[in-house]
Amino acid sequence: MGWLEYMIDNPGRLIGLGVEHATLALIAVAVSGVIGATVGVLTYRRPVAASIATAVAATMLTIPSFALFGLVLVWFGLGNTGVVVTLVVYALLPIVRNTITGLQEVDPAITESALGMGLSPRQVLLRVELPLAWPVIIAGLRVATMLVVSILAIGAYIGADGLGNEIFRALSNIGSVWAFDVAIAATVSIVIVAMVLEAFWVLVDRLTTPRGLRD
Amino acid sequence: MDAMIRLEALTKRYPGQEELAVDNVDMEIRPGEIVVLVGPSGCGKTTTLKMINRIIEPTSGRIILEGEDVTDVNPDRLRRRIGYVIQQVGLFPHQTIASNVATVPKLLGWGKERITARVDELLEMVSLEPRIYRDRYPKELSGGQRQRVGVARAMAADPPVMLMDEPFGAIDPITRDRLQNEFLRLQEEIQKTIVFVTHDIDEAIKMGDRIAIFGDNHRIQQFATPEAILSQPANEFVDDFTGTGASLKRLNLVRVRDVDLGEWPTAISSVRREDALAQLDEVDQAFLLLVDSNRRPVRWVSRRDLSRADWNQHVGLPVRAQVPLNATLSDALDEMLTSSVGVAIVVDDGGAYRGIVDIDTVMTAVNTLRAETRERVAVAAWHAPAGAVEEGGA
Repeated sequence: MGWLEYMIDNPGRLIGLGVEHATLALIAVAVSGVIGATVGVLTYRRPVAASIATAVAATMLTIPSFALFGLVLVWFGLGNTGVVVTLVVYALLPIVRNTITGLQEVDPAITESALGMGLSPRQVLLRVELPLAWPVIIAGLRVATMLVVSILAIGAYIGADGLGNEIFRALSNIGSVWAFDVAIAATVSIVIVAMVLEAFWVLVDRLTTPRGLRD
Repeated sequence: MDAMIRLEALTKRYPGQEELAVDNVDMEIRPGEIVVLVGPSGCGKTTTLKMINRIIEPTSGRIILEGEDVTDVNPDRLRRRIGYVIQQVGLFPHQTIASNVATVPKLLGWGKERITARVDELLEMVSLEPRIYRDRYPKELSGGQRQRVGVARAMAADPPVMLMDEPFGAIDPITRDRLQNEFLRLQEEIQKTIVFVTHDIDEAIKMGDRIAIFGDNHRIQQFATPEAILSQPANEFVDDFTGTGASLKRLNLVRVRDVDLGEWPTAISSVRREDALAQLDEVDQAFLLLVDSNRRPVRWVSRRDLSRADWNQHVGLPVRAQVPLNATLSDALDEMLTSSVGVAIVVDDGGAYRGIVDIDTVMTAVNTLRAETRERVAVAAWHAPAGAVEEGGA
């Protein structure tokens, strides 16, 4: 259990990298959330547009991350920016899809009664449809966060911060006595970051879902 | 201004469809009346209703509301003047009952205190105690309670017109009956102009001041009072649709308070049993009706009950068959048939005994109706130009 000793002996280092990791992941999810939710809101009423948006986001997710990192390296150079851009692209699918599904699943009787009372289509969206779709959108953000946390580890390859650096440091010294333990310790740390962020979303979900929608 | 709502040659054709969904509907709806649109499914009744507040935009024709042509005005502003109740209610699940009811007043920018006062007033109006229900969420209410909230929400800004699309359609028969009666009583106070859609001819007869029957050709077949539709159907379609048992249906037209109620011997439930027995001997009835101190019916007791050795407050048959004054004779007949004693007890709003309806009451009412109708048909035939009665209905 060398990796556990490593973690116990170097808490500051791993926590520092973990915080970097979580911050980058959340920034990417936040940007992707704004873009994805906007795309969802613009397309959910038009079935063809909604299918196209989902298909495009799905296609982007199939691009190998290594290839995409290579591509953004050309535009943004080494560092966090390119990696965050890549992560934003990957996070789009769950966010776009859940926004569209969440909005489409709002009971038509509720929207009809809202319109019937004289709410404008924009008021219906902001006051009724989005609040009702919110738990589904949050679920999309959760999945996106998990996705981004794991892909971010590879981002160290083009100079991103985070726990990926620890893994790469270990892999480049493979064969040395400590390399394997460090790699495992960094991987476990990534899992912990994922769990902490998951807990964060559960909390956000609890705090922002109206009482009338909770079970 | 004589018509509250006037529909002129209102027509709807859905793109890509040969057949018209609504074909040239002309209609005048007077202030304060309930007009029921009824017909088989797909006949265009719901489409017609939804064109009035332009949830569905008409293909052609005009909609005139309170003398103003609203066919092309801003639909959102139009809808704030029209209450709208649908079968699935469509309450906002993420908002409290109070917030749901306050939707339109908030849109209209009312002050906070005025809104709170109005919400409480409305909840009371639909028999939901504000203190209990104000802060609840829709999912915590039963179907019937949700429908009451739906009605309260539609009335929030006191619109002169209400559109109701099968409002009681998804509710169990017993609750539906109660909601219908409550709604009719409420309507006596609020005097709204109401357009009401149903597929149930019995509900139409009970609720409508006038009924428009839509046919399979998406046109109105007859637009007349329930009496006229039952006694002088304009054509075979209407005759078929109102169905057999038209005389039985006409019982829906008569309210309990409009007939001469029968009397029944009653006594306060704390009566001494000798007195009760004496009272029973005096009248020729098998049962005595016991009432509480507020004259609310409690139990039926027979001579045998009164003679029992273990006589106490609980001997006898519980009172089940009770109807309010605004119930129809049809309701009363229904109750009567389930009653162990064979009569329906009529009670007032406070639940106090007012009289009874028995089979003789019903027979008398049926005979009166029949005579009245014959008279009206004869008079109409006398005054109308030849052929008009057969063709035109009323």
